[in-house]
Amino acid sequence: MDDTRPPAPVTQGPAATGASGSRLPLGGWERALLAVLALLLAGLIGVVPGFYPGFGGFLALSENFLPFGLVALGLSTVILTGGIDLSVGAVAGLSAIVAAELWSGLHLSIWLASLIGLAAGGMFGWINGLIITRLNVEPLIATLATSFIYASAGTAIAGASPPSGFPDSFNALGTGAIGGVLPYQVPLFAVLAILFGLLIGRSKFGRRIVMIGYNVDAARYAGVRVPRMLCAAYTISGVMAAAAGIVLAAYYSAVRPDMGDVLLLTTITMVVLGGVSIFGGEGSIAGVVIAVLVLGFLRQGMLIWGFSDMVTTMLTGAILLGAIAIKNMLGGRGAGLALLLARLGRKRVRQEAPARAR
Amino acid sequence: MSAAGTLAAGRARKPGRARRERRELTLIAATIATILLVSVSRHGFMGEQNLRFMILDSVVLSLLGLGQTLVIATKGIDLSVAPMLGLTALGTGLLAQGSGLPLWEAAAMSVVIGLVLGTINGLLVAKLAIPPIITTLGTYSLYSGLMFVISNGTQVDAVPHAYAVLGNGVLARFLPVPIPVLVLAAVLALTWFMLGHTRFGRAVLAVGNNSTAAYNAGIAVTATQIAVYALSGLLAAIAGLMFLCYTGSATVTTGTGDHMELQSIAVALIGGTAIAGGRASMLGTVLGSLFLSVVLTALVFVHVPPIWYSAGEGLMILVTVAAGRRAQAAARS
Amino acid sequence: MTRNASRRIALLAACLPLFAGLSSAHAADINTSKRIKVAMVPKLVGISVFKANEKGAEEAAKTLNIDFLYTGPVTASAQGQVDVFNSLIARRFDVITTTSNNPTQLAPALKRAMRQGIKVVAYDSDVAADARDFFIQNTDYGLMGRDLVEGIAKYIPHDSEVAILSSTPDATIQIEWIRALTAYMHKTYPQMKIVTTQYGQSSPSQSLTAGLNILQANPKVRGIIAVDGAAVVGAGAAVQKLGLTGKVFVSGTSDPDAIRQYVKAGIIREASLWDEVKEGELVMYVARLAANNAITANCTFTAGDLGTFTVKNKVIVFSEPLVFTKDNIDNYHF
Repeated sequence: MDDTRPPAPVTQGPAATGASGSRLPLGGWERALLAVLALLLAGLIGVVPGFYPGFGGFLALSENFLPFGLVALGLSTVILTGGIDLSVGAVAGLSAIVAAELWSGLHLSIWLASLIGLAAGGMFGWINGLIITRLNVEPLIATLATSFIYASAGTAIAGASPPSGFPDSFNALGTGAIGGVLPYQVPLFAVLAILFGLLIGRSKFGRRIVMIGYNVDAARYAGVRVPRMLCAAYTISGVMAAAAGIVLAAYYSAVRPDMGDVLLLTTITMVVLGGVSIFGGEGSIAGVVIAVLVLGFLRQGMLIWGFSDMVTTMLTGAILLGAIAIKNMLGGRGAGLALLLARLGRKRVRQEAPARAR
Repeated sequence: MSAAGTLAAGRARKPGRARRERRELTLIAATIATILLVSVSRHGFMGEQNLRFMILDSVVLSLLGLGQTLVIATKGIDLSVAPMLGLTALGTGLLAQGSGLPLWEAAAMSVVIGLVLGTINGLLVAKLAIPPIITTLGTYSLYSGLMFVISNGTQVDAVPHAYAVLGNGVLARFLPVPIPVLVLAAVLALTWFMLGHTRFGRAVLAVGNNSTAAYNAGIAVTATQIAVYALSGLLAAIAGLMFLCYTGSATVTTGTGDHMELQSIAVALIGGTAIAGGRASMLGTVLGSLFLSVVLTALVFVHVPPIWYSAGEGLMILVTVAAGRRAQAAARS
Repeated sequence: MTRNASRRIALLAACLPLFAGLSSAHAADINTSKRIKVAMVPKLVGISVFKANEKGAEEAAKTLNIDFLYTGPVTASAQGQVDVFNSLIARRFDVITTTSNNPTQLAPALKRAMRQGIKVVAYDSDVAADARDFFIQNTDYGLMGRDLVEGIAKYIPHDSEVAILSSTPDATIQIEWIRALTAYMHKTYPQMKIVTTQYGQSSPSQSLTAGLNILQANPKVRGIIAVDGAAVVGAGAAVQKLGLTGKVFVSGTSDPDAIRQYVKAGIIREASLWDEVKEGELVMYVARLAANNAITANCTFTAGDLGTFTVKNKVIVFSEPLVFTKDNIDNYHF
């Protein structure tokens, strides 16, 4: 199949867009998002009763959405390569169940079990990567299929009464706070966000990831070992999904096979709203982090205001569409009619890859 | 009966068509083999009652899959078919249960709902250049939220007699063909003809194969795209009405709860349609849906726990797609 | 419903002498001066049995000066209920009433509510005992178990295979009923075998699939006991779809409107429930009294014209099971 990406001018590389993957300086899109966040918080605090019950209570709201942020960090890595990972929800649930069963069945320490759960998530992501690179299946289809399989496995292992009632020290990860004010999830997410920002923006690995998304053939000719990088990206996504699953388990002090179901739509929206192009090759972690905060507080505000969860989902969908439409209209990666048409395809790893890339 | 076309020109056309026909034959063979295999130990499996049940059970997914096939043929994807199905089922169901909406009005309503929602998808994809996966992910949440807004959580428990007949009745005593099967057959015939023997169908495949080339060849790419999404919406709505009539129920999570969008993609892929666009098989989709129904019922009969069913679906997708790739690569070299 | 009314009057009359001595709250005494916010959070908002609760609660809320809200998840999800509780706590509701999908998963959020002075009243499907102030039990579990079994046992051979169709594996009320009916069956019909238990997630289409699964995988099954509103509908529809009307019977707990067609068709001979609408009223009464601190863990009280109720260890039993059959189902509409 032909690569339908229009040939971009040489100067318009990732570094020149300003959304370079580095944390600072912030590009135009990220700055706009920051303004939206500020306005949003001001609006919510002013209008919604009960939204701001003191600084500690306000920070505690983040406990509800930071797990999504963890997934978004890993998912960004995958989407930057031009791929997608539909299995994040299933991996989150399955990894959490694996950890919980190890704790309840083999009586391992909950922390050791969680580490194994993270490793399991990485393995599930790695399997995704293998299916995509070895079996030559599109990321969309591959992760669609594995999401079925992982979800089934999760339900099977969890059985009729999944483990619950974890030790309080573990539950603190989800709902506890340092000094009663700063939720543990906040520094956890902050540290990981900084790490990812450095990884994507400043490391060789990150540059290669972005290059693959930008133009996979150029990357291949430049000597990037595409299959290996892709496997790494999907493994990372799996680990982060598992991390989200474990944090959710701490939050609810229980695991359920379907606990990851809500993750997919919102995290894709967070990534795309954050400025990462769905075709790959463009975007920054900083933008994603701001988008996580925007969508997270928006949803919490609406729930507290009394709106049903389904209405907030509708809003998330509308925001997703609006964000991309605006991005397209502002120029982005090309706005001419021919380029619009050329955008109709989805990027994927070229099928007849020369032998040396395998 | 040879199914849809492919646009590979010249010599390459023969292998393409042969490959697709082989997939369809393989599916038929696999279906029959499964039936025979299971019937050895469970005699009821091959009984008339069960055969009719398995066929009937696959109708809704087949309808959904046909629309999805058209979209995939243009190298797109439509995740919003599930809430479109659900919205139609719930909307018409609530009106039928609450104020006795006549069946023909429900059918008209379904057509309108499907076309409108589908056209919205098409416009977003074609005019605003939003990638199909994102567009339909967004409209997925919009339409499923809409299901809650119109119902406020109320469920549909029962439908008027006419609906139940449409969903479970037969044509006539002497010709006991279930009515849903007739509906499916008609839709299949129409879409098969459209894809394989009209200019529109050729345009669809051209756009999926290489949209720039299609544009340069003078094909109205934007209009074609809007049309396929509109058709996908229409078929999803018809599927929704059939669902309502067949199960006699609808809830806020109809369609989305069972992830029917993913299942519709699965049957299109199993049926031989290529996700990369340019090659599609309507008959294959219907055969794929039937095969899936037979396999899932077989799993029930041999007491495989229900939790493994979706794993089975996932595996089937991987196997068929990977096998298709291998065959494609082999044919090219 | 005159029979019930006269029964209640008789009950009241008989208890009058007792009232003098016991601590109790009377309808006339219920303090409704302060307007309170009470929320009703069912397992999921869509099923007709819970909507019937809502109808009754709304009526009672008017006379009790209650700002009433009916809200909850759209699928049988404990997580969804927790999210709703968090929102209610932030909005400073006075009383949270709920029927739960899972007794332990809801406990942390409810305990947090109680710590902030919010009263918690569970009904139908209980939560952990330390996570609620009061619990309204629908009916005596033993009686319900008996009715569920008798609902099919009268129509099939006593050594038949039967199956159970439930909602979710961890919902308290379903667990209690299954326990009761299994015990009754072992004692009264020891040769009857329960060959499988399947789950329909309180969704009509999933219950239909589960019902079909049961009948296809176990062709010798003669009866299905469906212990959830959606499950009864699903089981009935499954029997009809497979053409087994008259050969397989269904009993269970459902509101009359949803199962009318199956009762008339003979698939369901007896279905048991209770007056959901009145139960909803009772929930509001208990909420009001709890908010007023007018009832304690052991006492009696009167709830308007619903009658007198006893609180024992924070538990209130609502009524006896009400059995729907072909003869009486048209008298009820909810």
